[in-house]
Amino acid sequence: MRYLPSSSAEDQALLDTIGVPHAEALLAGIPEPLRLRRDLDLPPTGSEQEVLWQMMGIANKNMRFCAQFLGAGAYDHFVPSAIDAMCGRQEWFTAYTPYQPEISQGTLQHIFEYQTLICDLTGLEVTNASLYDGGTACVEAALMAVRVAKKRNTVLVSRGLHPMYRDVLKTNFAPHDDLKLVEVALKDGATDMADLQAKLNSDVAAVLVGYPNFLGVAEDLTALAGPIHAAGALLVSVTQEAFAFGWFEAPGKAGADMACGEAMSLGNKPNFGGPFLGFLAVKDAHKREIPGRVVGQTKDLNGETGYVLTLTAREQHIRRDKATSNICSNQGLVALRANIFMQLAGPEGFRGLAEQNAAKAQYLRQRLLELPDMQAMGDQPFFNEFVLRYTGDYAALEEACKKECLLPGLDLGRFYPEYKGCILWCATELHTRQMIESLVEILARVPATV
Amino acid sequence: MFLRQREPLSFERSVPGKRGMDLPKLDVPAAKDTRPAHLRRSGFDALPELSEVEVIRHFTRLSKWNYGVDDGMYPLGSCTMKHNPRLNEKVAGLPGFTDSHPMAPDELVQGNLEMLYTLQEWLKEITGLPGVTLQPSAGAAGELTGVMLIRAYHLSKGAKRRVILIPDSGHGTNPATAAMAGYEVVELPSRPDGTISFEDVTDPVNGKVRKGLKTLVSELGAEIAGAMITNPNTVGVFEYRFKEISDLLHSVDALVYMDGANMNALVGVARPGDFGVDVMHLNLHKTMSTPHGGGGPGAGPVCCAEKLMPFLPVPVVVRDTVKVGEGEVPKHSYRMDWDHPQSIGKVHTFYGNFGILVRALTYCLSHGGDGLKNATLRAIVNANYVRARLKGAYALHIDSPSLHEVVFSDTNQAKHDVHTLDIAKRLIDHGYHPPTIYFPLIVPGAMMIEPTESEDKGELDAFCDTMLAIAKEAEENPDALHQAPVLAPLRRMDETTAARKPVLRWTKA
Repeated sequence: MRYLPSSSAEDQALLDTIGVPHAEALLAGIPEPLRLRRDLDLPPTGSEQEVLWQMMGIANKNMRFCAQFLGAGAYDHFVPSAIDAMCGRQEWFTAYTPYQPEISQGTLQHIFEYQTLICDLTGLEVTNASLYDGGTACVEAALMAVRVAKKRNTVLVSRGLHPMYRDVLKTNFAPHDDLKLVEVALKDGATDMADLQAKLNSDVAAVLVGYPNFLGVAEDLTALAGPIHAAGALLVSVTQEAFAFGWFEAPGKAGADMACGEAMSLGNKPNFGGPFLGFLAVKDAHKREIPGRVVGQTKDLNGETGYVLTLTAREQHIRRDKATSNICSNQGLVALRANIFMQLAGPEGFRGLAEQNAAKAQYLRQRLLELPDMQAMGDQPFFNEFVLRYTGDYAALEEACKKECLLPGLDLGRFYPEYKGCILWCATELHTRQMIESLVEILARVPATV
Repeated sequence: MFLRQREPLSFERSVPGKRGMDLPKLDVPAAKDTRPAHLRRSGFDALPELSEVEVIRHFTRLSKWNYGVDDGMYPLGSCTMKHNPRLNEKVAGLPGFTDSHPMAPDELVQGNLEMLYTLQEWLKEITGLPGVTLQPSAGAAGELTGVMLIRAYHLSKGAKRRVILIPDSGHGTNPATAAMAGYEVVELPSRPDGTISFEDVTDPVNGKVRKGLKTLVSELGAEIAGAMITNPNTVGVFEYRFKEISDLLHSVDALVYMDGANMNALVGVARPGDFGVDVMHLNLHKTMSTPHGGGGPGAGPVCCAEKLMPFLPVPVVVRDTVKVGEGEVPKHSYRMDWDHPQSIGKVHTFYGNFGILVRALTYCLSHGGDGLKNATLRAIVNANYVRARLKGAYALHIDSPSLHEVVFSDTNQAKHDVHTLDIAKRLIDHGYHPPTIYFPLIVPGAMMIEPTESEDKGELDAFCDTMLAIAKEAEENPDALHQAPVLAPLRRMDETTAARKPVLRWTKA
């Protein structure tokens, strides 16, 4: 086995020093009846060449597309070459959590810069070293809001939130008999203000709304903040496409008290849904309730500036069952990708990319609407995703696209029965005009309603 | 390794007008602005303006202030810092995997589903447990999933139980997880050999009696939902009465959760499913060598017994065998099965840290069943070699047989006013990452050393020689140790001020 530094001479020397005849003698601490007395029923050692070819064979069984018009929480953006090159350095990808600051300043300073940039994008003051993904970030945000709000036990969740985020919230709230998760209805693709008003009361700790939401609509955080704050609750914006921070106002500046969501868009590929990058940014006043690792600036004995993990009194290894969360491992390397991406982009690149995404999505929408079987669903402000009603047969459309190596938008009826027959489309800077024209051309040929 | 040049924050280097990214030419009309004025993005305060060269140099310089597994031995106990094969990185970067969309229809992502299914099969055989979910993103997420399965099991029997038992040697994530799943934690005391005590334990200092497993089970009985037990435990010792523990818990229908953080000691040697475990998680970033990434992403799959399978998170990846003619090789197709009415639901937005799971399967295929067992044995040999060489110079607070890691105490050095922290910082001067320190809590001044199977004899000897030299220095020149580190880029850090007056981001002066 090429990874094991084994040779009979050295192995014997190790055993001699320990004073045992063979390695198995060291298993004496495991009672005989509990030992596995056979070989694992698994294939034998594979050479690098064999394993590479086997895994390439598996990867090749996935359909490759010329263009994907599907977003829905996983966005395909261009990844600058510098990111893979940097993240391929062993100093970044093989190290662990920076428990020993003197030997981990690289990771610590990176996280400090990453925290700074997430605060910049969201317009809030404090964030952490990352969370697992958008769904679990919602859970951490909701539980944190309950801690901050004290004695309030209800979290309202807009139906516009990513359906899988809502699923993860449901799973994690189920064990808490004392907490309630209540859905707020949609109206014209955005959170229904009347339903929200009806459900706001003195038990509500927080309201979670998509920004933009799953249907691509930018919720008006400023309008929502009024009644939510009047009821003494916190407004939590949930963003599943971080590029939208280059187009729409930072949630912290538009009225949100907390911003959470998914930042995989920054320097990552869709990767079948993971590893992704959960984030949660909050106000300074709430910093001691934030979950997860947080890096702070300090000085060393000689007065040199350096960085350490801090506010650890919140965490599981100190507080055990009183901790703010059980999280310890996070998405460090994905956060590094995002950090490098943001630094390469800078303010002009970030804004420019956002403008391109908006332009491509608007053009895609305009061209699709020229087809007789596509209909608009309102004119709410959107970024790079939007919903159209399709009067044709989605299965036929999907089949036609597949033949031409295109992945169409999402069949919304899968998650929203009330949007049956609607399609959620996405376009990013990766979609050339040519790709969009090909899609429209193919769709024009799909046979009318079956 | 260390570049002794200061690297400023990138924001301090920012110069207006520079950019590290060129955009493609826009080939459609510019975006029309349909945003209400108050939702138009205002300025950015921190995004730096730098060229690509500057960004690459910045992150290259910063990287040199880190210590990685390729720099040398990284004996961070309980974290299993083993070699990260480059093949795994290459495979995880195959465009067939990276470009695939999580919402794509099953028939278009057959490769991904086959990958997930195959990894599930490996984990089933390794753990001896028939149910697997690959969704949890890390060990702690796996723990939470596992405890929620236990909760769902009791609820399905109409019982709501309130207590989870956790040994005092357990990882902090265990009690934090139990609390997140709505349970009350009751602590199990350890015996002097580090294993769980069946009998009550009287504290020699304050005379307080702590109830042992037998008392707790008889008193709490049907209140106990389950126990979370790390095995081998955090002292690196196998809970040799594990079967009795699980039998006792099962007698009141309480379930046994195994924290699999230390599974690197058991793969191919013993299977949790064979000694009474109902549900467990694996840390693939430990046992299966997926890179730690400076803090993640990891992967914490959960394996469970048949009685818990109906509650597993959705979707479950399943394989169907397509009918073929006689004598032909059977063909398979894979799909996501969402139809599990008793499921606890989703625990990850999509299907887990897929790219990490790809690396783990690549690791498994490279090792094969035989290689996995040999890796386990070598990890155990390496830990015992370090133990044999350092025993005497450093105190073994608990003298039970070690498996994959060995925990020393600083009691010998404390006589000279040298403590675990001093020893750890001195190791940095010698070019090593320190072991895990001050954990487990049941060992005073703990130094938890896990060399892993990746270390050859030369590397182990160099580390042990260094540890022995430090022990000698502690006797002869303790103050030098108090000063350590002196060769790292920075001296000891003021963590108190960092927490009291937190500076958690850069702001424009």
